[in-house]
Amino acid sequence: MINRILRFSLIFFLLILLQVLVFNNIRFSGYVNPYIYVMFILLLPVEIPSWLLLLISFATGAVMDIFCGSPGIHASATVLAGFVRPYALRVISPRDGYEPGADPSMFVYGLRWFLIYTSVIILIHHTALFYLEVFRLADFFRTLLRVFMSSVFSITFILLLEYIRKGK
Amino acid sequence: MRNLLNFLAKYNNLIIFLILEGISFYLLTTGNTYQNTQVVKGVRSLTRGIDERISNARNYFHLRDINQILAFENATLKNNISLLKNKENLVFFSVSDTSYRQQYQFTSAEVINNSVTRQKNFFTLNKGRKQGVAVDMAVTSDAGVAGVIVGCSPNYSIAMSLLNLDFKVSARLKSNGFFGSLGWDGKEYKYAVLSEIPQHVTFGIGDTVETTGYSAIFPEGVMIGTVSDFEKSGGDFYMIKVLLKTDFKKLRFVSVIGNMKKKEQLKLEKQFK
Repeated sequence: MINRILRFSLIFFLLILLQVLVFNNIRFSGYVNPYIYVMFILLLPVEIPSWLLLLISFATGAVMDIFCGSPGIHASATVLAGFVRPYALRVISPRDGYEPGADPSMFVYGLRWFLIYTSVIILIHHTALFYLEVFRLADFFRTLLRVFMSSVFSITFILLLEYIRKGK
Repeated sequence: MRNLLNFLAKYNNLIIFLILEGISFYLLTTGNTYQNTQVVKGVRSLTRGIDERISNARNYFHLRDINQILAFENATLKNNISLLKNKENLVFFSVSDTSYRQQYQFTSAEVINNSVTRQKNFFTLNKGRKQGVAVDMAVTSDAGVAGVIVGCSPNYSIAMSLLNLDFKVSARLKSNGFFGSLGWDGKEYKYAVLSEIPQHVTFGIGDTVETTGYSAIFPEGVMIGTVSDFEKSGGDFYMIKVLLKTDFKKLRFVSVIGNMKKKEQLKLEKQFK
């Protein structure tokens, strides 16, 4: 248990550092800013209680907000992602259910499952994030394009990170 | 009670979710200037639309009164015109001569939001920058002084009411021309206080108090009210209680007055300060 908490804390700090130091500085053509820190919410154990998941999501978003200087924007997007996660997991559950104590990982449930899972959460998170950042419906389609472009990049990077994580 | 607990247990995730989102949104709207202004703008435009609608509905019921007031005002204006026509005939002047240029511009506006209960009252007018209203213009009702424009958007403007502790206007007694400063003491919406009138001046209850043209905002001789009571205060001055002619509780149609020569006056005065 303690071991697990330590492991997730480590992942948390690594992801936040990676996001703040590297990915926050990536801006392809003004449209694409990948947000890979959401991966932390994706990686939490399947059977984590929902209230804890929501609180952790909020904390993650709040930490990002502190680094980005944008109070509330990341927090509301991550809380939404954390709220949706249990439903998403239920909808795309594998045929024989989740193994007790397993992490939702690509190497347990396969690439296809992990891709769908990541895409759903990332799309929801990015949609909330970008629209809250713009905060008006005037540039609706431009923002939508930003959401999709950034999501594609975020998903790609998260898959790569997942490979690296298990490769070690 | 048990039902309530069951309910809470059943929806605890949703409740936590809503609470956390609420906190986030609070942070979002208060912490970020841009989002904050967007929200404030949205709420304002909503209440403004409602304000205007309420005011429209109310106007319908006041049509009779308003008609009477307008008819009365028309009559006095007609009198003025005939008076002026007579005067004009006495002297000759060239129309292109700029020294005879009109000094004050009048435009009518409607009050769509008003208050008299606060210490710092403001009211909203349905005309703004697009209709030529600008900051520091004078606002008068058909009876007398009402306020000063302090802010304009394209189609609306906010005026500081006379019933505002920050409002000061230069005023004088019509009977003898002694002038002082008039402001509101924050007590009753029907009375204002005229100070700085020296004690050797003689005047009576019921004397007219009107504006001087000194401030470059109000034209000279606009009615403010009548003396209702006075007492000696401290040094050598009177504190005069003035019964306001304008009834701020039913303020509806007002005139906005712009002084076209204000800039010139202020510029000249600035050189000697």
